[in-house]
Amino acid sequence: MQSQAQTLGGPPNTDPGSLFAGYTPIAGVYDEMLDASGRPRPAWNGLRPQLEQIGAEELSRRWAQSQRLINENGIVYSAYGDPEGRQRPWALDPAPLLLHESEWDVISAGLAQRAGLLEIVLDDLYGEQKLIASGLLPPELVYGHPGYRVALQRTAPPSDNRPPNLLMYAADLGRSPDGKWWVLADRTEAPSGVGFALENRLVTSRMLAEPFRERKVRRLAPFFLQLQQALRRWAPTGRTNPSIAILSQGASHPNYFEDAYLTRYLGHFLVEGEDLTVRNRRLWMKTLDGLTPIDVLIRRPNTDDCDPLELRGTNPAGVAGLVQAERDGALLLANAAGSGLVESPVFMAFMPRLCQELLGEPLSLPGVATWWCGEPASLEFVLANLDRMVLKRAFRRRGEESLLTAKFRQTSRDALVKMIRDDPHSFVAQEQLSRSASPSYRKKQLQPVRVALRAFVVAGEDTHYVMPGALARTSTDSGPLETSVLSGEGSKDVWIIGDKPVEVITLLPGEQEPIELVRIGDELPSRVADNSYWLGRHLERADAAARLVRIVATRLTSEGDSTDFPELPALVRALAEKGQIEPGYAVAEMRDRLPAVEAAIPREVLSRTQTSSLASTVDRMFGSAAKVRDRLSRDTWRIMLRVNDDFRHQRPVAANLTDLLNLTNELILDLAALGGMVVESMTRTQFYRFLDIGRRLERAMQAVDLLRTCLVESRDTSPALLEALLESADSLMTYRARYRASVKLAPVLDLLVTDETNPRSIAYQLNTLERHVGKLPRADDGGPGAPPEQRIALALSHAVRMADIRDLCEAYELNNPKPLTRLLSDLERDLPALSHAIALKYLTHSGPPRQLAPT
Amino acid sequence: MRYRIRHTTKYAYSDTVAVCHNLVRLAPRAFGGQSLDSYRLIVSPDPADLAKRIDAFGNRVEFFSIQRAHQTLTMTAISDVEVFEKPLTPVDSPPWETVRDAMSCRIDQEALRAYRYVFPSIHAPRHASLRDYAAASFTPGRPIVEASTEFTSRLHADFKYDPRATTVSTPVLEAFEARAGVCQDFAHVQIACLRSIGLAARYVSGYLRTIPPPGKKRLVGADASHAWIGVYCGADGWIDFDPTNDCIPATDHITIAIGRDYADISPIQGVFVGGGSHTMSVSVDVAPRDER
Repeated sequence: MQSQAQTLGGPPNTDPGSLFAGYTPIAGVYDEMLDASGRPRPAWNGLRPQLEQIGAEELSRRWAQSQRLINENGIVYSAYGDPEGRQRPWALDPAPLLLHESEWDVISAGLAQRAGLLEIVLDDLYGEQKLIASGLLPPELVYGHPGYRVALQRTAPPSDNRPPNLLMYAADLGRSPDGKWWVLADRTEAPSGVGFALENRLVTSRMLAEPFRERKVRRLAPFFLQLQQALRRWAPTGRTNPSIAILSQGASHPNYFEDAYLTRYLGHFLVEGEDLTVRNRRLWMKTLDGLTPIDVLIRRPNTDDCDPLELRGTNPAGVAGLVQAERDGALLLANAAGSGLVESPVFMAFMPRLCQELLGEPLSLPGVATWWCGEPASLEFVLANLDRMVLKRAFRRRGEESLLTAKFRQTSRDALVKMIRDDPHSFVAQEQLSRSASPSYRKKQLQPVRVALRAFVVAGEDTHYVMPGALARTSTDSGPLETSVLSGEGSKDVWIIGDKPVEVITLLPGEQEPIELVRIGDELPSRVADNSYWLGRHLERADAAARLVRIVATRLTSEGDSTDFPELPALVRALAEKGQIEPGYAVAEMRDRLPAVEAAIPREVLSRTQTSSLASTVDRMFGSAAKVRDRLSRDTWRIMLRVNDDFRHQRPVAANLTDLLNLTNELILDLAALGGMVVESMTRTQFYRFLDIGRRLERAMQAVDLLRTCLVESRDTSPALLEALLESADSLMTYRARYRASVKLAPVLDLLVTDETNPRSIAYQLNTLERHVGKLPRADDGGPGAPPEQRIALALSHAVRMADIRDLCEAYELNNPKPLTRLLSDLERDLPALSHAIALKYLTHSGPPRQLAPT
Repeated sequence: MRYRIRHTTKYAYSDTVAVCHNLVRLAPRAFGGQSLDSYRLIVSPDPADLAKRIDAFGNRVEFFSIQRAHQTLTMTAISDVEVFEKPLTPVDSPPWETVRDAMSCRIDQEALRAYRYVFPSIHAPRHASLRDYAAASFTPGRPIVEASTEFTSRLHADFKYDPRATTVSTPVLEAFEARAGVCQDFAHVQIACLRSIGLAARYVSGYLRTIPPPGKKRLVGADASHAWIGVYCGADGWIDFDPTNDCIPATDHITIAIGRDYADISPIQGVFVGGGSHTMSVSVDVAPRDER
């Protein structure tokens, strides 16, 4: 072997600023870029001058730009409540891995063969089970498989034109030191990673535009066209333009990023279990406009979580009746329910023999050597060689591997032997592969890192298409990496380099093509409308609570004696009424109990265990926001994160009134910023409408509530209390500007209740509500007359418009509170009725599904 | 023996149910020992759709859904069944180990088909304590039918029939420790014991004809669903045993469905939306057909 310092066929690089300075292949490992003599392999030939021409500085600049591009694409991933707001599960390494077409075509053929073989095996095991009857597969592989579901066993003879079970298939590949590629694992249940591969390509090809253009890199778009065609071809018969949805596991799931990305790229719907329902053995999506049929569903959740009726899972991701719809051929489920059966490592032990018997040819792409301990000879071999093997559970349970690998590592050899001997059928052992290494771009230099590839396959009519490219996952560790697509430290794009010019097609609208203007959004799923409505309600609830707390805290922390604030008892009572403090504090003789009240307020307002406290309200607001995060702007989300952080870091026990004052001041400002952002930056779609309905309803309810507790129940109309009420509605300045210093009941109530120009008045909320309700979709024919929500909204705004505030106040001051009380109690009755009517019609199509008690 | 069976299940909800989906296994099986002359399932309110299929164990499954608001759901299955006299229980049968080993060696197809019932299932896992309990009856070389008969008697003697001891969700090991339960527990314990020594055992759901005391009239609707087990006995095929009544089922036992355990063949499974809390009532009437 030649000196490894001599790199890339040129003279040894001595320029310390060079990208390639000091690139040294790892000893004993296949290097993807350099051959044993240190010369670049064919696919990499000529890359170096191209990169050197761009230069390290320019690359760094482009890299920073690419990061912004990722953000501007509007799809960012971070798990629910991740305050770091991490954008991706791992970092993208901009240096691509290059493979020559001649090499990739061999891999492709092997993957196509493997996908076809797994399809036959899966179809047989859930069908006639000839493989078991003939002895090709041991019955344990099915009957002892914890993932085998009897409910999915087909008993009717198969129809001719049945769609494939494995519409999509993925395999993890690794290269051994001798240069051979091996399959490390099969993924058949719900293969993930295509979206990441696509996104990596978009970023990398833009960053390295010159080499990408000149190197004849095979494009990914044709693969996605094949995927689109497959989804259409196998859609239920007679649906010429099928509607296609991706069943995601929600914003809190790591794969959400990819689901959202693919949805946009392919133009599908993004749905969760709650969005779907089965009616007449067909699948439907619940939208504000009613039910929309879904013909093809790309499935992310595990089989068990798909149908609580037939598969008995209790996960809300599932849809009762889904399996029946699939069985009837009314729905294409990709992949089919039960597909995960054959991704268990135990099947790898049988692949060579199955291939020979079923296809009459040898397995062209070998799997990493696998021994199933259920066979006595293999068991003894594994036990004798345990130290140099990777032990795995024979039957895969998704999401378990990384924990399991760590557990096995910590277990002593004797304990492992006992564990295997006790239950040999449940274990396999695999040969450990020393994976190849490829250059990684780090700190303006290239250094080798270990790689594994995830390759993707889609089923065609009578062949399989392999993506000309892959998702490379990188790690500095040489250990096994075949766990999930989300493991590893980094990922990179894989370029398949050809000799022929590439045909350029794209599914994304090109820069020259005019984009069709779209003024409305897609159909809004009811679940999203529901979350948006509750986000609006929680925003206002937090705002009202924060303002009231601030008013009380200001008075309690001021210099004056409590006798200077005769309005305090009424305000403290309002605080208790809103559930911020225990009702016991709101007694007439409050003066004696003031120290206790002062101590209790910060503790209880910041308590996250009391459900109605300010802190809990903020929690719920954040929860609602997280559920609709893909529809919030980045800045909106950033403020949400900050508010959440502020509250999470407060310790209720340690906080005093001054802390509370500061905190509520901050919160009120942040909420105002959020409100402004909603008004200024959100397009007027149904999403906005439901958010604003939530806000207006809550604001009106809070105002009515405050007037009743402070004014009517205390029978206090002192200027001090009226001023506090104006303050709580942020209307003190307006009042002073209009009336100077004299604070009287009638003008105060006019400003807070009937003045339609004051955005804090009840009348303003009701007018807005009436307008919103008039614009809600009317899909169903509810018979003659206006629908209930419209009638209630009209009645509400009518009641306030017709109220003569001067008369009400005169009567009130002459000791006849009835007219005012009646107005308030009418509002208190009708506002929740409006909320209920809207919820019934638009938001709670469903509620959670539940299982019948066993009989 | 000919029967007319009426099996009514009624769910009442405290709140309106918007939509429900159900899977029902109420049709008696037709096989060598029993014929199904007529079967009708009446659902109220009227279901929007109804689909039938045969499951992997050969049971009939009906799927239906109700898509309009309802507060009660009633299902009545009316079946006319004839149960035939069984052949005499074989006196000579192979040693139980021979039957056990034939299943895993993958030669005899019948034995291979029975093999799936050797594997643990949700309600009938394998366990060392169950293996030890069964071992006293399954002594080396003992003919399988003789051992199974004696084991059924022993289990019947050791276990107390006590509806208060268990619920439908009591794990089998708990029922085993308590040595008490209802027919479902007796069946699950026996199946789990047999699997723990490597034999194939299956769960049979059905009805038991009740014979009124001498001089009394038969009470209509007072019968109940019943459960017993089947053991794979090699060349003699599957033979049923009823551990609750210590007998080999004959013409008083009417078979509905067969599975690995109760979870495979529970008569009614359902998922519903809305509804608040719900209550369930069941009435079963097994009437000999000449009685009418």
